[in-house]
Amino acid sequence: MIIELLNMGGYGFYIWTSFLLVAVFCFLLYYKTQKTLKKYEKELALELEKLPKEHRKRIARSSKVISSILASQNKLS
Amino acid sequence: MNFFSFGNIIIYIDRFINFINSIFFVILIVGLTFALIISPIDYLQGDTVRIMYVHVPSAWIGLSIFSIIAISTILNYIFKIKNLFLLLKSLAPIGLLFTGLSIVTGSLWGKPTWGTWWAWDARLTSMLVLMLFYVLFILSLKYLKDKENLPKILSAISILGVINIPIIKYSVEWWSTLHQPASIKFLGTSSIHYSMLIPLFLMLLVLLLYCALIFLMKYKTEIIKIKKQNIKRL
Amino acid sequence: MLTKKIKTRLLFLLSVIFITLLFLTFIYLSLKKNILYFKTPSEIFIVDEIMINSKIRVGGMVKKDSIQQNNKEIKFVLTDYKKELIVVYNGAVPNLFSEERGAVVEGKLNDKSYLIADRILAKHDENYMPPEMKKILENAK
Repeated sequence: MIIELLNMGGYGFYIWTSFLLVAVFCFLLYYKTQKTLKKYEKELALELEKLPKEHRKRIARSSKVISSILASQNKLS
Repeated sequence: MNFFSFGNIIIYIDRFINFINSIFFVILIVGLTFALIISPIDYLQGDTVRIMYVHVPSAWIGLSIFSIIAISTILNYIFKIKNLFLLLKSLAPIGLLFTGLSIVTGSLWGKPTWGTWWAWDARLTSMLVLMLFYVLFILSLKYLKDKENLPKILSAISILGVINIPIIKYSVEWWSTLHQPASIKFLGTSSIHYSMLIPLFLMLLVLLLYCALIFLMKYKTEIIKIKKQNIKRL
Repeated sequence: MLTKKIKTRLLFLLSVIFITLLFLTFIYLSLKKNILYFKTPSEIFIVDEIMINSKIRVGGMVKKDSIQQNNKEIKFVLTDYKKELIVVYNGAVPNLFSEERGAVVEGKLNDKSYLIADRILAKHDENYMPPEMKKILENAK
């Protein structure tokens, strides 16, 4: 049955290559996007670290973006 | 508070990303099972018809993303809406990916059925032109230093490109092509048996969810970039 | 609502659209002949002598019971149900090539009803269905 599935009536090469290509390229784009996102999140968190503590707290209260990123970074570390 | 402020958007983005992550693999496995195992073979093409389940959704996505990009580029150029600019910037790579995939899978489908990897017929050529427009669009987005005139240039590219969209759509009806006419029409019945429509739409759903996931992640990255630039002003 | 700035931008867009359409019309007019991937046997019949000996593509249906195959070459009739064209080819044909199905042949015309092909492509239609369904449809005919 497995052989049959791989063979696909003789067209296995074309079918599996097209499905695999879609999977591989989709994964590559996902991987790259994920990496860039993580990189920028981290950089933003580092920038915030540099600020004085009082200032940082005030920003975290006023900006939802900052607070959500700080929260996700804290979860990681 | 504005609903479309970055603060509100980012909370919804996180929720959506979590939601998609939780259901994606289930739908992927169901879709693949239907596409590769359960669905019947075609009376004429045999198993090769399964390539349709990745080829057709990819082409649809490639075409619709370009249309969305073109509309938002033009609206952004006229009314200067920041969110639209982030939207088109996040969508463009996804559209390029699927246009490329639809060409490659189409080639892999053409070899066993038509007997050739490529033919310069109207449909295939106009699809290649669409891909070139995507490349042009993304390159100018990435490397043009003149930020002032960028929306203007992007609008010009998208107008040129969007005129190509109806050409792609109707090429198979207007001219004699090697590519067969559309099986699924907006109005009227489809010429695909329902047992093959199920995997087709399941795979479309899988790829759409994937697009949404990448789009949200890219959008979030863009918001963070802006916040990082503005950090001194906070 | 429309400020002056927005009006200038709209004007720019309209001029881009206008210029593009103009260019497209020119491109279309000059490519008119090449944009068709193949000609039909009827179209071959009405053209002048010039076509002969230059490469062309002809598309149509393979006529029923017309395929003759020997060990060297394959000979069949391509038809658009009005005019017919005899095609000779030596080489492997695509899997989907068979009687009463579409095909596109590429080659040189010997005369208006005889073509020596050096490439054969199969053309299929937009209908997809399982084999059982096809049988039901055929029985209903």
